[in-house]
Amino acid sequence: MKKNNKFGFVIGMFVVITILALALIYISQGAKTRDADLLIMTSTNPVHIATLNVTKDVDGITVENLSQPTTGCLHDYTLTTEDMKKLSKADALVVSGHGMEGYLQDVIDSYPELTIIDASESAMDYALGSFADVDFDSLQAAFEENSHIWMSPALYDGQVDTIAQALAKLDGDNADKYLDNAANYIVSMQTGLDSLAAYEKLNGKNVAILHAAFEYTAIDLGANVVADMDLDEERMVSAGEVSEFIDSIQDNDVQIVLAEYDYGHDMGELIEEQTDAKVVYLETLVHGSYDMDSYVEVLNKNYSLIAQ
Amino acid sequence: MFSYEFMRRAMIAILIISPLFGMVGTMIVQKKMAYFSDALGHSALTGIAVGVICGIGNTTISMMIFAVCFALLLNYISRKGLSSSDTLISVFASCATALGLAILSRGGNFSNYSALLVGDVLSISWVEIFELIGLFFLILVFWWISINRLTAISIHPTLAKSRSISVRVMEDAFAVLVALLVMLSVRWVGILLINALLILPAASSRNISTNFREYTYFSMIFSLFSGVVGLTVSYFTDMATGPMIVIVASVIYFATYIYGKDRA
Repeated sequence: MKKNNKFGFVIGMFVVITILALALIYISQGAKTRDADLLIMTSTNPVHIATLNVTKDVDGITVENLSQPTTGCLHDYTLTTEDMKKLSKADALVVSGHGMEGYLQDVIDSYPELTIIDASESAMDYALGSFADVDFDSLQAAFEENSHIWMSPALYDGQVDTIAQALAKLDGDNADKYLDNAANYIVSMQTGLDSLAAYEKLNGKNVAILHAAFEYTAIDLGANVVADMDLDEERMVSAGEVSEFIDSIQDNDVQIVLAEYDYGHDMGELIEEQTDAKVVYLETLVHGSYDMDSYVEVLNKNYSLIAQ
Repeated sequence: MFSYEFMRRAMIAILIISPLFGMVGTMIVQKKMAYFSDALGHSALTGIAVGVICGIGNTTISMMIFAVCFALLLNYISRKGLSSSDTLISVFASCATALGLAILSRGGNFSNYSALLVGDVLSISWVEIFELIGLFFLILVFWWISINRLTAISIHPTLAKSRSISVRVMEDAFAVLVALLVMLSVRWVGILLINALLILPAASSRNISTNFREYTYFSMIFSLFSGVVGLTVSYFTDMATGPMIVIVASVIYFATYIYGKDRA
């Protein structure tokens, strides 16, 4: 092959690829983050819903959620370029906290100026000071190790309050609005959540869980978690674990197993085949998109499935 | 795009890593070591597992130590000629991966390490960039001193030996260098894609090159172009950076393959 042809080919190839890349960029350009006085980023759906409610009707504030993973849990989520761009413009990042966001240290290192609002910071203190009808010893024990704290309405109230307090400090002009919105939202959740039928069904009963998030659901409904296995797409279970889990279900007369459909379905079918327990598939609020009322709707749907 | 600090760091990292990959990749393709570098990438998991067991805070160190030992052991056993090298490499890679997965997944904790599979160049820090710059100069010096000997060995090891070239030392030194490059880059590129970045630019260059100089330069240029275009596209389209770089490198490969085939 002639040398000139070869170099011409390489240059031509680069030009074509560059044109294709530019076309791809042009096609994929979507709506941009609008300019606002205050840009608040949120890390997960539950804190996004909480922040939307806390900042309701406050002018000059934009709340945006980081890209949410379509599968898996949030622990191992990696930030996208879009996330990094938004974070570089943001005034604050609201995180669920308590070890849920594995990428948080990278964000802190990359954006030392960014205010991080850790919604878990005083969530337990708030729950302890509330009149929630829940076993606080179990709740505290779970809180020590389990970062899916939004699944407990008592702790979620605490997260909402923590976010409001932090935003009030960040934006003093609207402090009262944030605190009022948080108080109203907490009241609306307390009146909107309907867990009575599910509580009557599970109170004092033994349950097993196939996702750590449902430990809080069980505590909330007065049930005892006697066996747990935290399943996601990367979880590899051993034969010994499965047999131990099934033995626990049988030995403790477990009638209900709480699971997430995507990762618990196969194991759920196995459990229903091997034991008398019924597997109930619930939502964790992690995947998908939600609006301001979604927290109450999703939890009520979970309670309704359990009550059935 | 460069108003963002993370993009400046990512671009600098790409400008350092990609020419290295293009350069080292030529010798990997020439010596038919594609399986070897793939196995090294997978051994990263075991390296981390060893670090976790030994309580080493910085698992990059344990990854590097393990990968160097792994590479030297693989070379040693390959030389014994008890089994074909592709079989041996496959056995070693499978064993290392299984060992790493078994240890890291104990108690359901593998999700803490799964980000390593796809990598994340956007979170690279300045300290890590300086580590890559150090490696860049180390490889450059090694290349300058050893390229003729490595080429001779890759063409005819026995002939190279007869010309007083220490084949064993050179092969081990090159294996150690590849191990260091793979381990220092795997966090940014990902276990699943690192071999593609090592192999694709060199393989593309081989499709159209007529001499070793062209082979090396084209490989470096293809690698650099793939890295820069991949990072730019990923920035504007919000797609993962590593896979986007590999897609660009793959397009180059297919284009050069068609061009080279027509003119063979």
